[in-house]
Amino acid sequence: MGRFWFYFFMSAAVAMVVTFAVAPANNWWFPGAALSPLGKRIDDLFYLILVITGVTFVGTTIALGYVLWTGSSVSRQEQSKSWFSHGNHNLEVIWSIVPAGILLFISLYQMDVWAAFRVKSTFDAEAVLQPLAEVTARQFEWRLRLPAPSRKFKSQKEVQEWLKHPAPDDVYSVNDLHFPTGKRVLIHLKSEDVLHSFFIPKLRVKQDAVPGLVIPVWFEADKSGAYELVCAELCGWGHYKMKGQVVAQPEVEYQAYLKQLQINQSDDGVPDAPMAEGAK
Amino acid sequence: MRIRPALVTLAAVVLTAVGCGQAPEAAFVLHQKTSELSDASRGAVEKELLNKFGTPHQLVAWQKFPFDYGASGENLVTGRNLYMRHCLHCHGVSGDGNGPTARFLNPQPRDYRLGKFKFTSTKSGLKPRRDDLREIVKQGIPGTTMPSFVLLPESELNAIVEYVRWLSARGEYEQKLVATLVGEGGGEKDISRRVNKDGESREAILKGLADFIAKDFVEEAAIAAGDVADSWVAADADENLILPSIARAGLDAKTGLPTDESLHKGRELYVSKKAKCMDCHGPGGLGDGVLTEQFWKIPGTTPEQEYAEPGLHDDWGNVQKPRNLTKGQYRGGRRPVDLFRRVYAGIKGTQMPAFGGTALTDEEIWHLVNYVLMLPHQKTSPAAKHPEKPSVASTGG
Repeated sequence: MGRFWFYFFMSAAVAMVVTFAVAPANNWWFPGAALSPLGKRIDDLFYLILVITGVTFVGTTIALGYVLWTGSSVSRQEQSKSWFSHGNHNLEVIWSIVPAGILLFISLYQMDVWAAFRVKSTFDAEAVLQPLAEVTARQFEWRLRLPAPSRKFKSQKEVQEWLKHPAPDDVYSVNDLHFPTGKRVLIHLKSEDVLHSFFIPKLRVKQDAVPGLVIPVWFEADKSGAYELVCAELCGWGHYKMKGQVVAQPEVEYQAYLKQLQINQSDDGVPDAPMAEGAK
Repeated sequence: MRIRPALVTLAAVVLTAVGCGQAPEAAFVLHQKTSELSDASRGAVEKELLNKFGTPHQLVAWQKFPFDYGASGENLVTGRNLYMRHCLHCHGVSGDGNGPTARFLNPQPRDYRLGKFKFTSTKSGLKPRRDDLREIVKQGIPGTTMPSFVLLPESELNAIVEYVRWLSARGEYEQKLVATLVGEGGGEKDISRRVNKDGESREAILKGLADFIAKDFVEEAAIAAGDVADSWVAADADENLILPSIARAGLDAKTGLPTDESLHKGRELYVSKKAKCMDCHGPGGLGDGVLTEQFWKIPGTTPEQEYAEPGLHDDWGNVQKPRNLTKGQYRGGRRPVDLFRRVYAGIKGTQMPAFGGTALTDEEIWHLVNYVLMLPHQKTSPAAKHPEKPSVASTGG
């Protein structure tokens, strides 16, 4: 056998490291660049953890290689008694404290990003006061309710009231959520039936929709475009088809889109008079 | 643990046989009524359907119908492929609303074979336009398990709509053939009764039927197909589209919302004798009118039978709850014109009758639509303050 196991484990490790090193450039597995500032920060965390685990992997592989190499070069004649390491107090302390330190570092280091995404007091005040939409997940679609384009909320209380009681001038849509590019927007996420998860992979936004809860979720996009919105929580047999899109577009186009949505919704079937005059 | 090669092999064989079995073959199934025919009659229907419509694998584009099959039927094939992917698991291969997931759903998926579709922009009793079906597929139906397919490309939506129309025509044609044969005494029960009770000879009855199938059946079938085709042509005819004769009345020019006066008029109509909305939808619009508590007769049964459950039933035999109008959920669309059309032509296949052109004028319908649209927002609806006292509410108008 000789050095077979040394070469076996080392070549596997080298192949893995090489694959990981070339993967991002070839866009294998990696989701591509995030299209929002927060998404980029989340990606940074992801790559930080990848580097930490990568370095750890390389280190342990080298140690393994060392043991296999030296072990195989000991001749049968000079075999001596093995070193019995089980229960070694110093070793136990080292491999408990070092990983704990790394975990502690990660958990402290990511707090800002976590807070920016989840802690309400850090949300953009304007986005909170003027929510983009109420998104209701149901088997198997995303139902949207938008405040009338002209509506300006004056207080949080008013927003809460709007979430409880739809207004007569609300605008409705389904599976197709538009928002202005480069601006933080906030939606209120509900579920009508079971657990769903609101997931926009390109913007790195993912939030479970829980029946009975109204969960605020904010996001923004640097670049205009249509991004996939999918359900990321197995919600039933039609889970795979619970797909929508979010469309980031320049403010002017967005306002025009809203206006058109409102006009379509108030259609009374009489040509040239989409918004009918008052009675008589 | 000792590994037993024999056991492992056996497990592998069983798993392969069970786990990787073939999916059931897609096939059009016969309607319940067709399977109740005598053998020869059923055979005639089966043959006719096979000739004129083919099988799911070998579709036949029967030119008798006004459907857009594409030059060589490619549109129908595209429609089938999309239908199999998106629709089949609820609506079934034959469009009978009985796909594998149907049994878990309430309300039940639509059975197209009656040729009836609820939400249309066409006049009373008519089939839907292409636009109506496309709109339903695009928007989905809130309050049911029909989801939205708004992100499908327009060409795919059109192919699906065309295939659904074709499936519906197939089912309706089947039912008409069965009705013809039943009329000629081709029902198995009917034959047994005549043989056992009236003492007729079975051979003589079957011979008479065979004669009918050989001679007149072809002609009767052609008439039936013509009727189905005509009804689809009529649905897309412009003169049958409901367009309100006046713009939405009773709106406040400033807010764009209904005026109090219009709401009072709407409320007055809601409780009136001529509209009778209250009988089904209840005084407060909760869908709990008195008619929902009675036991109803099953139409077309002799002797008359009653449905097992109280409440209104639709033409598919399902309990049909009148809509709770305070929820703000509108299955056939929430645009004012959608509600106008619901009131004008009724909801086809259900107990919601047509009021347009007869009981109510277009202006009255608009007031009613205004009232209904504002019902979920009761605070802004003065009439709703007195749901039990229509006379009080009507004084305002």
